[in-house]
Amino acid sequence: MGVLTLDILTTGSILFAVAAGLMIILGVMKLINFAHGAFLTTGGYVAYLTGLAGISPWLSIVLAGLLGVAAGLVIERFIVRPLYHRPLDAILATWGLGIVIGQLITIAFGRGVQFAPSPLSGTTGVLGVDYSAYRLSVAIIAVLLACALSALLSYTRFGLNARAVIMNETLARGLGIDSGKVRATTFGMGAGLACAAGALITPMLSVDPNMGLPWLVNSFMLVMISGVSFPSLLVASLVLGGAQVLVSTYVSPILGGMTIVVLAALVLRVNPKGFSRA
Amino acid sequence: MPDVHNLIFSGRRAALIGGLIGLLVVAIAPFILDTYLTNILIRTLFLAAVVMTVDILWGYLGILTFGQSAFFGIGAYACGLIFTHYGFGDGWALAALAIAVSVAAIVAAGVGWLAFFHGSSPLYASIITLALPIVLTQVIYSGGNFSGSSSGLSGFETYYWDIEVWFWIAGVFLVLITTASWLLVHSDFGRVLVAIRENEERCAYLGIPVSRIKIVLMILSAMVASVSGFGYAAFSNVVAPELAGFQLGTELLIWTALGGRATLLGPVFAAIGIDTISSWLSGALPFLWKLLTGIAFVIVILLLPRGLAPLVDAAWRKLRSSRAASVPAIKLESAPVKTMMQSNEGAEPPLRIERLSRKYGSLHVLRDVNMVGRATELLGVIGPNGAGKTTLMRCISDGSERTDGKIHINSVEIGRGSPQRVVSLGVGRSFQNTNLFDTLTVGECLKLSRYRLDGAKLFERSESVALPQPALDILQATGLDQKLTEETRNLSHGMKRGLELAMVLATEPSVLLLDEPTAGLTKPERMAIGKVLTRLRREFGLCIVIIEHDLDFVREISSRVVVLHQGAILMEGSVDEVVASDLVRAVYAGHTEQEKAE
Repeated sequence: MGVLTLDILTTGSILFAVAAGLMIILGVMKLINFAHGAFLTTGGYVAYLTGLAGISPWLSIVLAGLLGVAAGLVIERFIVRPLYHRPLDAILATWGLGIVIGQLITIAFGRGVQFAPSPLSGTTGVLGVDYSAYRLSVAIIAVLLACALSALLSYTRFGLNARAVIMNETLARGLGIDSGKVRATTFGMGAGLACAAGALITPMLSVDPNMGLPWLVNSFMLVMISGVSFPSLLVASLVLGGAQVLVSTYVSPILGGMTIVVLAALVLRVNPKGFSRA
Repeated sequence: MPDVHNLIFSGRRAALIGGLIGLLVVAIAPFILDTYLTNILIRTLFLAAVVMTVDILWGYLGILTFGQSAFFGIGAYACGLIFTHYGFGDGWALAALAIAVSVAAIVAAGVGWLAFFHGSSPLYASIITLALPIVLTQVIYSGGNFSGSSSGLSGFETYYWDIEVWFWIAGVFLVLITTASWLLVHSDFGRVLVAIRENEERCAYLGIPVSRIKIVLMILSAMVASVSGFGYAAFSNVVAPELAGFQLGTELLIWTALGGRATLLGPVFAAIGIDTISSWLSGALPFLWKLLTGIAFVIVILLLPRGLAPLVDAAWRKLRSSRAASVPAIKLESAPVKTMMQSNEGAEPPLRIERLSRKYGSLHVLRDVNMVGRATELLGVIGPNGAGKTTLMRCISDGSERTDGKIHINSVEIGRGSPQRVVSLGVGRSFQNTNLFDTLTVGECLKLSRYRLDGAKLFERSESVALPQPALDILQATGLDQKLTEETRNLSHGMKRGLELAMVLATEPSVLLLDEPTAGLTKPERMAIGKVLTRLRREFGLCIVIIEHDLDFVREISSRVVVLHQGAILMEGSVDEVVASDLVRAVYAGHTEQEKAE
């Protein structure tokens, strides 16, 4: 029972950490970033490389984040910006970008599976069971991240501008808010978060050029049902992540893999607003 | 006009000639190509048929679908599973094909039910189509030995025909399907598809069953894709989860985008070209080739959103500059009025609103509105900005809008009906902003508005459109009857207004909702519209509800006025009573209750 509870909590938080970057971009820019999966993969390879170089795995998360921000700013300028008024085309363009990144990684590292060292090894005793220390710390990081991102949107100048752009972009521009800058910053942040999340989860799993895809689809569903709110994303991640763990444990791991997708699709059919107003 | 006649028939003739050329090429090709290339092309031809369905769904109807591969996979697995586990023979093959098509149709109907309903967003529909191949692949994985799990099924018994025969089967299938689709998208019904892509909401308010059309096309596309998949599996003797996968689904999209969406032939040629080259090059430089397609895809999306086909098309036109692009002319005809005048003065009023309220959170936009609109009555709704006038219109025309209360149209309660359901009860609504279909011509817009009553031809384009007299009157009054082949985006503001009104009238409503129909119009244009409205009321027995700011105009045409203020009915009466009222004057001039008391 203890293990199951911890599995649910940690799975939910990992899902949250992975989906956060996608959500911030969707929220502010109304744009689905299909390159999200490729960003996660890139983060994973940063973790792998820093592991090879013998740098601290904790630092790899920061490095991946910085790389993501830099790449995100460049991508925003050249690929995303021209497509603001064609949202469905932006999906395709970012998907194409994902293919390009994936192929570049394949050419550089081959198709094989690679591993990255874990910053924390061993187990800790919680709730009367021994549980992976790193999984627990990832859960804590995810909760901190949720607080930090909510605070960013609620209490900072950037957050105020971003919320203004979310609610009414034309009016926000009329008030002198440089919405282009808000968008660029947002895309950079989203890409940075995605890369950092990739580096964060890789030590628990492994990395290969297609690792991002299943995560992309799940985060996508989570973001769709939680609207633009980090707390409700956390709730959605815990509920659906929990369902995934339960189905995997008691029914079959393969069906567990599609739990989130199916549940989210049904929730959205019944209530198109998802969890955001629940 | 003989050349008009020619133009109309040239659509079908072109399709016939194109189809024959296609069949000829297919017949000869295997004798020219080497075995290796023929082999590759058979797979490609089957996939090209699937790409074409993607183009219809995405290019013409605007549904960005990632899931067409799932139906291809369903067809392939129906073949593989039945030939492996149950038996092989002509009977089994037919049974397997029937199963493939029906399973695909059922799954597509389910997906359509999930993805398309009034108020669903295009993004949501895309997500559902994205989830489909992922779920299907998981189901295949979990099938164990039965489905062959991740390695798939191979080596089952099948028809070991010569490679030429398979090539002919795939080729003929592709040519026939493409010809049929070409006729479909160039027909009247094809224009309905484009209209849904351009302005889905407006289509719903013209009474076009948008969701049903989407679901039906989804099912048809799925059936075509599953036949393709079946053919491919029977030919190749191998089925694998990748055939149903998300990767293939996005590749289909990429080919469509590169070839040029909504061009039909573009995607087909792109699929044939790219897939053949990839099969060739995948041995030599597999990753690099995929990288290059990825880059090309991003560049095409950014710089050539319509793909490569328009470039080819432009070059072709340059070569044959003599033949300018022309739109077939359309004749106007007078249609006998079918549903207007169905209500008369003595009967139940066509519009009855009881205790209507609309809340946004804690904000009451409308509260406890009771209203009756009788036949042959023109009811003016006035009130300051933010009084809830447009919300009132919205609640009458869309059942899902109101929070509480009942609305009866011709004695039928609208319930939670979608706009097209309310339209079918007899409501016609014009919009405050002139949101028309930019790339459609005036004539096509008019045909569109008759879709609910007259339907649309599936494989043909008709030369005329029959409209009820009042719609013809509006067209004549605004001079639109001379501009039937003009695209609507080129019209002046006044003409757009006129067309909007004519389209609403073409649906033959018995309750007509007009939201500021004369805003931004010149005095003569207003007079013309006022005359038509009066005539509609008197001779056709319509109940007209009109939102207007211009009190003089209201006085001229309306019999009764309702004043809305802060979501409630402030008073009701003749124009003169209302204008004379202190209460109304206070509301408009912004006096407070206190000042009035003084």
